[in-house]
Amino acid sequence: MNSVLLADPPMALRHHPVGASTGYMAEIRGDWDLLVEEACRVSSFAVELAALSEPELPSLVDYLAATPALPFRYLSVHAPTKHRALSEQEYVAVLAELPAFVDAIVVHPDQIEDPTLYRPLGARLVVENMDSRKASGRYRDELESLFEALPDAGFCFDIAHAWSIDPDMSVGEDLLDRFACRLRQVHLSSVDEGRGHVPLSAEHEELFAPLLDRCRDVPWLLEAPPRLN
Amino acid sequence: MTALDDLAARSEGGFPNLVAAREQTEAGLSGLGGRLAGVEVDADAAVVLFGSWGRGEVTDQSDYDWAVLVDGAERAGVRPFPAEVEAALGMGAKGPGAEGIFGASAFCDHLVDRIGLDADDNTNLSRRMLLLLESVGIVHPVVRDRCRDRVLRGYLDESVEDFRPPRFFLNDLIRYWRTICVDYVGKERRGGDDRKWALRDLKLRTSRKILFAGGLLPILLCHRLRVADMEEYLRGAFDRPSLDRIASAFLELAAVDAGLRAVGAYDRFLGLIADPSVREELAGVTRATAAGSPVFEEGRRLGREIEAGLQALLFETRIEPLVREYGIL
Repeated sequence: MNSVLLADPPMALRHHPVGASTGYMAEIRGDWDLLVEEACRVSSFAVELAALSEPELPSLVDYLAATPALPFRYLSVHAPTKHRALSEQEYVAVLAELPAFVDAIVVHPDQIEDPTLYRPLGARLVVENMDSRKASGRYRDELESLFEALPDAGFCFDIAHAWSIDPDMSVGEDLLDRFACRLRQVHLSSVDEGRGHVPLSAEHEELFAPLLDRCRDVPWLLEAPPRLN
Repeated sequence: MTALDDLAARSEGGFPNLVAAREQTEAGLSGLGGRLAGVEVDADAAVVLFGSWGRGEVTDQSDYDWAVLVDGAERAGVRPFPAEVEAALGMGAKGPGAEGIFGASAFCDHLVDRIGLDADDNTNLSRRMLLLLESVGIVHPVVRDRCRDRVLRGYLDESVEDFRPPRFFLNDLIRYWRTICVDYVGKERRGGDDRKWALRDLKLRTSRKILFAGGLLPILLCHRLRVADMEEYLRGAFDRPSLDRIASAFLELAAVDAGLRAVGAYDRFLGLIADPSVREELAGVTRATAAGSPVFEEGRRLGREIEAGLQALLFETRIEPLVREYGIL
């Protein structure tokens, strides 16, 4: 079922375009056909195909190379953050193999040691802000130098990560102030005490609303199953 | 300061490609005026340029889509003759295409009197809309302005009501936009020069959409006005390039973030297609190979960002009730 057909969805799900990040679909990980089908039940407008573990990446590259057409108008790929074995150069080379129709390749800043290696990804490279567990990539100043080295890169605003650092949302506002022109997508969820992504709570939906209002033109990718009323 | 300047001042790096294109347009217009100085032009005629010249977005790759616009009824022997304009402008391969919309005389009486029905063919509709939305006079600009105002007044007839958008005008604009979209497919089905397909596709996603939105927004915003004030408001709006009208709406409707991204994407698109090597690569792209072309896909992505910004403006701000009420049904 497409999100627009859900009965009385939460306000955040009424955004257009909204989509699923397949990272939360742990039980079917690796089965790209099924992941795409599940994502289409949330929305056929936008999707983030998440290869969070490095061994998943080659099968995603193969899947996208072999798949004739997907319905999504916005398609991003979340690059691996776990079980990394490839050198950074090899890692970027595999990401660069993703077909040209992939709109965005989301990379965590803590995976980037030598920014210059990522330049071949051009404007498809999208860097995400980190949560409070990480030592870098959380604040404006920590991302600034990365974007200076990668002038074409876009920004993925993970609003729950920003909340984990500052529940008053000033850090989130600061990130949007500085990187508004680069914003390409939003990661939308709440996070639990262990900083794992969980469905967006009603309380967070209200708290996040002013910042989400500044992101009306970009896809919102759900990093946890949609909360159904 | 223009609305575009205002938006640029709030952005990370301004809009360098747009600034360069505006400077090139200004310089080019000045030069073209000089080249036509020795050509005889009837007192009631203007030499008018359309497209990127009217939008202030000229690059080295821009065409010269020109017409001799006469403020009056159809007649023979209008000066200058097409060959005189062509010789003076020295356009080479960048002259008007074969469709016949440009590179000829056009008569304002047709633009004003033939709206709708069979006589309002594609050529007439296109000339009328482009005169309003993206044109500039290079010889006798006052005649071009007079014709533009006549067309505008033709829409603001007794059917227009206070605090409502002029629907006759709105419907004609929407018809024009949909005609562009349908003709895009018509051209593809007709076959011919496939080397233009990719660029035509990308322009439909970008500059044509800017053209449409730049007309749609001022028309919808007439809902704030009494009929008596609409002509002056629309004249003022259409005196500015499309992108300034759009930037102004993003600012006025408190959608600055989306405006920065949409105009920024358009700026990057201009930079992309100003590159001769990109044009050459696009010439080899077909519908069948497009998804594998990084250059085409980059243009498509930028088009999507422009569209998303415009959708946010139209559907996520206080103009949404107007779109809902007048834009679809």
